[in-house]
Amino acid sequence: MAISAQVPGAAQGMTVVARTQSQLVRRRFFRHRAALIGMLVFGSVVLLAFSSIGFGPVPGWWDKSYLATGSVLDQGRPTLSLVPQFLGGEGIRWGEHPFGQDNIGIDYFALTMRGTQQSIIVAFIVGIVATTVGTLAGAFAGYFRKKVEAILMRLTDVMITIPVLIIAAIVGRSFGDSGIVILAVCIGLVTWPTLSRLIRGEFLSLREKEFVEAARALGTSSRRIIFRHILPNTVGVIIVSATLAIANAVLLESALSFLGVGVQPPDVSLGQLIDTYRSAMTTRPWLFWWPGVFIIAIALSINFIGDGLRDAFDPRQTRVRA
Amino acid sequence: MIAFIARRLIVSFFVLLAATMVIYGLTALAGDPLEDLRELPGPDRDRKIADRVERMNLDAPLPLRYLTWLGNLFRGDLGVNRDGQDVAVLLGNALSATLQLVVAATVLAVVIGVIVGIVSALRQYSAFDYSVTFTAFVCFSLPLFWVAVMLKQYIAIEFNDWLRDPVIPPTVIGVVALIGGLLWGALWVGGRQARLAAFGLGAAATALTLTLLSATRWFADPGIGVALLAVLAGGTAVGITALVSGLRYRDPLYAALSAAGIGVVLSQLLDPVLADPSWLEIFGLALLTVAVCVGLGYGLGGLLRRQAIIASVLTGLITAGLVFLDRMLRGFADYSEYVRGRPIATIGSSTPNFQGDFWQTNLDVAGHLLLPTMALILISLATYTRYSRSSMLEVMNLDYVRTARAKGLPERTVVTKHAFRNGMIPITTLMAFDFAGVIGGAIVTENVFGWQGMGSLFLRGLQQVDPAPVMAFFIVSGSAIVLFNMLADIIYAYLDPRIRLS
Amino acid sequence: MTDYPTEIPGEILRVEDLAVEFPTEDGVVQAVRGVSYSLHEREVLGIVGESGSGKSVSSLAVMGLLPRGARVRGRILYRGDDVLKLPARRRRGLRGRKIAMIFQDPMTALNPVHTIGDQLAEAVLAHDLVPHKQALARAKEMLDLVGIPQAEQRLRSYPHEFSGGMRQRAMIAMAVINNPDVIIADEPTTALDVTVQAQILEKLLEVKDAVNAAIVLITHDLGVVAGIAHRVLVMYAGKPVEVGDTDTIFYRPRMPYTAGLLGSMPSLETSGGRLRPIKGAPPSLINLPSGCPFSPRCPLADTRCHGEEPALVEVDEGGHYAACHHWDQLAAVADPTALFRTESEPVT
Repeated sequence: MAISAQVPGAAQGMTVVARTQSQLVRRRFFRHRAALIGMLVFGSVVLLAFSSIGFGPVPGWWDKSYLATGSVLDQGRPTLSLVPQFLGGEGIRWGEHPFGQDNIGIDYFALTMRGTQQSIIVAFIVGIVATTVGTLAGAFAGYFRKKVEAILMRLTDVMITIPVLIIAAIVGRSFGDSGIVILAVCIGLVTWPTLSRLIRGEFLSLREKEFVEAARALGTSSRRIIFRHILPNTVGVIIVSATLAIANAVLLESALSFLGVGVQPPDVSLGQLIDTYRSAMTTRPWLFWWPGVFIIAIALSINFIGDGLRDAFDPRQTRVRA
Repeated sequence: MIAFIARRLIVSFFVLLAATMVIYGLTALAGDPLEDLRELPGPDRDRKIADRVERMNLDAPLPLRYLTWLGNLFRGDLGVNRDGQDVAVLLGNALSATLQLVVAATVLAVVIGVIVGIVSALRQYSAFDYSVTFTAFVCFSLPLFWVAVMLKQYIAIEFNDWLRDPVIPPTVIGVVALIGGLLWGALWVGGRQARLAAFGLGAAATALTLTLLSATRWFADPGIGVALLAVLAGGTAVGITALVSGLRYRDPLYAALSAAGIGVVLSQLLDPVLADPSWLEIFGLALLTVAVCVGLGYGLGGLLRRQAIIASVLTGLITAGLVFLDRMLRGFADYSEYVRGRPIATIGSSTPNFQGDFWQTNLDVAGHLLLPTMALILISLATYTRYSRSSMLEVMNLDYVRTARAKGLPERTVVTKHAFRNGMIPITTLMAFDFAGVIGGAIVTENVFGWQGMGSLFLRGLQQVDPAPVMAFFIVSGSAIVLFNMLADIIYAYLDPRIRLS
Repeated sequence: MTDYPTEIPGEILRVEDLAVEFPTEDGVVQAVRGVSYSLHEREVLGIVGESGSGKSVSSLAVMGLLPRGARVRGRILYRGDDVLKLPARRRRGLRGRKIAMIFQDPMTALNPVHTIGDQLAEAVLAHDLVPHKQALARAKEMLDLVGIPQAEQRLRSYPHEFSGGMRQRAMIAMAVINNPDVIIADEPTTALDVTVQAQILEKLLEVKDAVNAAIVLITHDLGVVAGIAHRVLVMYAGKPVEVGDTDTIFYRPRMPYTAGLLGSMPSLETSGGRLRPIKGAPPSLINLPSGCPFSPRCPLADTRCHGEEPALVEVDEGGHYAACHHWDQLAAVADPTALFRTESEPVT
């Protein structure tokens, strides 16, 4: 598939039907099978998490709460069964407690759904905050050079010597009990430097391009050049890195919560569930399995979406067709 | 070069200084350091609080506390933690365990990741390539702590249970053989028939090996033995030579084979030295190996002297590694008995109070390192595989690789000499970045496996709002990151003559 | 200009009905659709065409350097052996030893991390097991031959320390280091400064005579072939459309495309007159229109041209072939390039 790009003579000679950039991007994205499956999986997870137990004042279709304790049935074993009877299983069945119960009888499905909601919210806030700050910082540094750049780059130099997990853990320790939104914003505010380097690189190469030169010659203001001329051209890089930042934030949040410096009770997140029940691995493995499965499902599907987007925006990159 | 290093060190010093300020401030503000004491009942509450306030200098404002800490640091004093323990002592104990873990994981991840990435690139769009890419994506999306717990459960606990009666069930042999066959089939170049043959032979060989291992209860008392050692060393010699210079001309092959042969013979003759050596002796032997192998390559290499030296040195070192492994495995049965049949450890970085000879001590360390390292590797491996794959793919399409082919160079030389060297240039930058990630990963891994390493030093300090241990952790990890960055830049400049260090 | 060989020399390379296709996600690109030519000892054959006409792809096919996935049909005979049927090892033995290639962009064609000397010596060592020193001595000899001063020191230089012209000289040295029979030069001067272009061409011819090689010179620039090629093959949309002696092609073109190329070439003789560019762009190689691929841009095109692709027919004695239904109309006019006269231009 990528051959046309490798044949110098053949590729140049083809006259291609004119398509707009966004049409091309959409077309390439929808041809990326893994990304489509990723979209589907991620969409289903979001739908399941938010529709089942509801969100805020909106009730969901699942009748059990993630707060209510109850009597533990069948040692809290999951009642979900996906193996049909003719294959020797127990038939496809949802049951009373599909994901089982924890030791005080809380329905684990409801709890996992709550954790999924929270983890998705945290990941998106982290991703969006980090991308916004990173983009602005990178854009200003890449365009203005000199002082602004020097300051911003020294700042990112400092941040790069600090592993992300360390700084996030320190911030998490401070803001873990102020609620997930504040926690997420704070984590976002310390994880942007890598992103800003990327955007800066992009800006550095674009600001030398002829169309920027032309805009500057026409007396266009710096702000207008940055936001109207250069930024739209970096949109591919930004979208792709935002997607990957969200995937990483899912993992980061769960790691922090697992270490006890992320989401604090009574808030629930997937990593925190694993932390709470990690000693149950040998006796009640499902308490450990379900949150893990959801973390992987979210991170993997977003990663695949990101790969599809990267392919769509930059076809030179190698692709996955899994 | 020296000017470059000096300048980098100075800049890094200020960068680190600024970073310490950030971390100290954030840590000190992360919570209430007296939280646990405030809830204490009884009369000594106030006294304890006063004690700690004095020890942590809490009466002074934050900037002053930071400056005091900094001043002490420059005098080589890392301070005390909130319970009055000397942080330098705590750090000393934690450091070696964590360094072993981090360095082993990084080196292995780079080596394995780069190799897999390159093979995957050279077999682009093959079944192997697709599976590697997919696996890499899964690894990217795995929460490290979850993997670590899984490894603990399924590798350590169940593997140890299985070791009591190490018989491989036929179904497992079948499945593993099938996977092995698929791997060979996917890697083999050639038509459908050749691939089918590779699949069949690969599967059969795997099945045979596993059956033999199972029947001889090899896992109960593993070892390599002279015969197997000779076969493995010889195979290594042939494989390495094929990779380095091809088998068309014999001289390098003879050099590598003699390196393997001498290694096997010496492994028997040196028995008294190898019975209970020290690391210094092992290091000396390694140097000797290199020297002898360079001599062999020089003497026997003929016109392909350079390639012969490379091939024989690599063969010699790998043979030496096999001998080392063999020695370590000889102590396995005794060791296994000592730890009550649970050689794969799940807690800590060494068995407490374990006394053994050089080989058993190393076996003990290896047993403890195995799982955490596996968990850490799994995460970085994906990054290296992906990056080296895409870097290789990009380079393989460049003009100078086409020039190399146009000269009539064999594909092996095109890949190893022209593509590989250039493809590795961007990987060095990645190494520096990834190292920071591995340190973060080490915190999680240590937490799961109950290591008393740097990670727990940091985490406990953070939980207790106690800056001294947190800062000690950061001084070490931050310096390591800075050094790794610099090392990466130096390698970069070495690999790319267009870059001058200045 | 080199003289014609006095006696009829032997044929060393013969390409018959060569076709190359690339399957892509948009369809099959028919990059080359049937090229035939033969090359004799010490001859210079110019292959001329726009980018995408298949000239580079056909020579990469001769070298066996096409990217994976390319489908090649036809025969490529080197001294009577079909190289497409040779085992990989023997084919590799031809590359760089019997048939060598010079690429377009010397800035990217040399490996930046190895020294020039190493990259030259490597070409020798790829085919002959000689001591490294001897290979380096040969490399120095070649650098002297292509006129690189202080060759001894230059062996230890890296490509980035060379100028574009020097790099192309080094590429030429690399191509001839094994005394090849055939040198394929793919746009060897396109990426260079105009002032350097002539030097490089001259050096190429000098070196060719020194090693008694034949040259396939690929270019989009008729001016380049004018001075040095014995014969010219004009390609369009993957096919040869006109073949003949250089003089014949220049003074008696029988294919409107060739005439168009000549008209779009600035020259001193036509000074004062306008350049007459060919309008439009080459066709897509994925969905070629039926009929003559040049017909959408051709001033002579009629319904026959749109419906039926013309074959290459002999239009003149002495091996002059053209693929045009209306070649006789071109024979009738004095200045065929006038066909592409722009509307604003007054009829003279």
